[in-house]
Amino acid sequence: MNNWFKSGSPWIWLSAGGVSLSLISVLGLLWLIASRGLSYFWPSEVYQFELLDQKGKASTIIGEIYDRESIPSHQLSHLELNLDPEQETVERLLVKTGNRELVSLDFRWILVPEITKQSTPEKLVVVERRTNGNFYGYIESVILDGKSVSFEQLSSLLERVLEIQEEIEELQKVDIGAINYQIERLRLRERKYRLKDTFTAEKEHQISTEVATLESEYQTLEKKLLALRDKTSRDEIKMRAMGGEIVTISFADVLKVTTNNQMSFIEKLFMFFSQIASFISDDPREANTEGGVFPAIFGTVLMVLLMTVIVSPMGVIAAIYLHEYAGNNALTKLLRIAVINLAGVPSIVYGVFGLGFFVYMVGGSLDQIFYPETLPSPTFGTPGVMWSAITLAILTLPVVIVSTEEGLSRIPSAMRHGSLALGATKVETLWRIILPIASPAIMTGIILAIARAAGEVAPLMLVGVVKMAPNLPLDGNFPFLHLDRKFMHLGFHIYDVGFQSPNVEAARPLVYATALLLVTIIISLNMTAVSIRNKLREKYRMLEH
Amino acid sequence: MISVSPKTILDTTTKIDLNNMSAEQKALDIKNLDLYYGDKQALQNITMSIPKGQVTAFIGPSGCGKSTLLRCINRMNDLVDHCRIEGEINLHGENIYNKHVDVAALRRKVGMVFQRPNPFPKSIYENVIYGLRIMGENNRRVLDEAVETALKSAALWNEVKDRLHDSALGLSGGQQQRLVIARAIAIQPEVLLLDEPTSALDPISTLTIEELINDLKKQFTVVIVTHNMQQAARVSDQTAFMYMGDLIEYSDTNTLFTTPMKKKTEDYITGRYG
Repeated sequence: MNNWFKSGSPWIWLSAGGVSLSLISVLGLLWLIASRGLSYFWPSEVYQFELLDQKGKASTIIGEIYDRESIPSHQLSHLELNLDPEQETVERLLVKTGNRELVSLDFRWILVPEITKQSTPEKLVVVERRTNGNFYGYIESVILDGKSVSFEQLSSLLERVLEIQEEIEELQKVDIGAINYQIERLRLRERKYRLKDTFTAEKEHQISTEVATLESEYQTLEKKLLALRDKTSRDEIKMRAMGGEIVTISFADVLKVTTNNQMSFIEKLFMFFSQIASFISDDPREANTEGGVFPAIFGTVLMVLLMTVIVSPMGVIAAIYLHEYAGNNALTKLLRIAVINLAGVPSIVYGVFGLGFFVYMVGGSLDQIFYPETLPSPTFGTPGVMWSAITLAILTLPVVIVSTEEGLSRIPSAMRHGSLALGATKVETLWRIILPIASPAIMTGIILAIARAAGEVAPLMLVGVVKMAPNLPLDGNFPFLHLDRKFMHLGFHIYDVGFQSPNVEAARPLVYATALLLVTIIISLNMTAVSIRNKLREKYRMLEH
Repeated sequence: MISVSPKTILDTTTKIDLNNMSAEQKALDIKNLDLYYGDKQALQNITMSIPKGQVTAFIGPSGCGKSTLLRCINRMNDLVDHCRIEGEINLHGENIYNKHVDVAALRRKVGMVFQRPNPFPKSIYENVIYGLRIMGENNRRVLDEAVETALKSAALWNEVKDRLHDSALGLSGGQQQRLVIARAIAIQPEVLLLDEPTSALDPISTLTIEELINDLKKQFTVVIVTHNMQQAARVSDQTAFMYMGDLIEYSDTNTLFTTPMKKKTEDYITGRYG
């Protein structure tokens, strides 16, 4: 036994055990998120339950089973169920019944003992809608232009409606949006002239003619919009809900009609992937509890890229200064201590600093100097994507500096001497020889910076992230990249959907799905950076003699 | 723009009186050179003139200051902290330690090859033309010609002409050292400093490079530091013996190795200490 201790084996077992534990935890977490998140997209069976409760009242519940629970029977003693005294636990099911216009909560717990009949009728239909969530029921009739038509036409009608809806959306967002943007700019221009006292009669005439042209364009577009809306306004589906009520759903509101119980495995697989695709590409609806998360993905990736563009040159140049140019004096020591301490500051403090310094002080001054015509409504004096990127850049700066310095110090001085002896200046040597050889280390620093920044949410809540952003920071209107706009972020989205949403049960699977998506995006960003670094390593590998 | 015509072959047949050289015969003139590393003095009052178009060797036991003296000639000692120099080294009559001297330009005129080969992690082609690119030369034809000339002068052309764009790190030690020599001579310096160029190489490569040095002196002035006395005897025209920072004896190689004037020199070359 003593020999075993002396040989060092216990330490090996201990460290291996630690690593294994960490790996198992990480994999377990990923598995949990993946299974709960991906199950949200799988089209599940829709059940019809016939219930008979204690008082003999019969009812019908239609919906999807979301969860299953076993609870100790003494917790339900107040319900006076007629149970076998031997039975310790009672099972209950969480059923999503949808139909928010008929019931207050669209999730319901039902007790298994109360179920008299459970079936999966083939004709049961799930209607995914733009407002009010899902509807479960039977189709009574399909109305086209006021007249009843056969059910077979449903899918082609739906396609037509969806196409028209896409046109409407494009008209609204892109064309009318552009006109609004232009009108706003003209208004600001007029204001700027007024402020500078240069508002002459001819300028006034010029601006008013431009506004008039835009407004007439707007009128034509509006007419088009109304015509499109009109096309689908008289098409409806009449549905029979679980309590027997007839509900009319306008076609304009419908996104998808599926008969889940009739779908084959291939069809379900197809729908699974198309659900995932729409999750990634659609905008959110219903206060972020439904729909897609595309704006959040876009915002997260854009902000991380902006942050990388800012932090890379800053960090590399700072490291070069510290390593190559700084003398061995007290100031340099102070700088190094400052860099190391930057890494220890809690991220929310960065958020407060970013808010106070960048948003209010610098942003406020920028507004005074460059955008006086928009005041009192701030342009840069308010949280936005640029301030978020800069704040996170400062947060991740020490990581880049330390990695770059380490990479620089590993370069043998023979390389430097060789270049200098050929008549190159220090700067030329740095640019042509040193930095390329140090590029794998610089990439490492950038990878670590991306990994840290993509997960930080707390500072972002103060400097630029919102629950719902009306538009993306990148669009078709000049100057195309709007750095003053607020944006959505996946990390914040998870928090908002999970804890701030009005309907927690409906939102919970979305939390897992979004978490899975965030982890996937960060892993792919990292993998990309790692592969770039590996290529650089191969290129600049120096063989040891 | 750089012309790549070879330099005129210098006349090396007449024996040179080292104490009485004319200005055209001198490549470098070292006058009263003192060097201090902090408080410690490493070179004491070195005065010597290095003739053009010949091979001059610095020999001496370890730590005598021969490499330090060599590095003074292209101001590589500037990179060392706390290094202070007094005295002059004159190239074309102008002191290279003057305040307004452009050090990068100096190093283009005085090239250096180090003890361990240090090719850059680039292709063979890019290594050779590195100095030319620094000088702003980008014309593909001029660069191609320069590469061929330099590699031929370094006796490496035949071995690498088919793989000019392969990585330089794939070459053997001897080939890398010749590549580094080619890189140094591609920019047509006036003086070539070799700091123990063969001490890290095997005997065959050593021989190849020694033959190379004999050819190089037709185009450049060569100063070589070596701890191998036999190499100095084979390769150089003049030899300077240094000991503990002092220049003990400096004369043509034959005389120094057969009839040395100072006792210290004699002790060293007969192997009484090393």
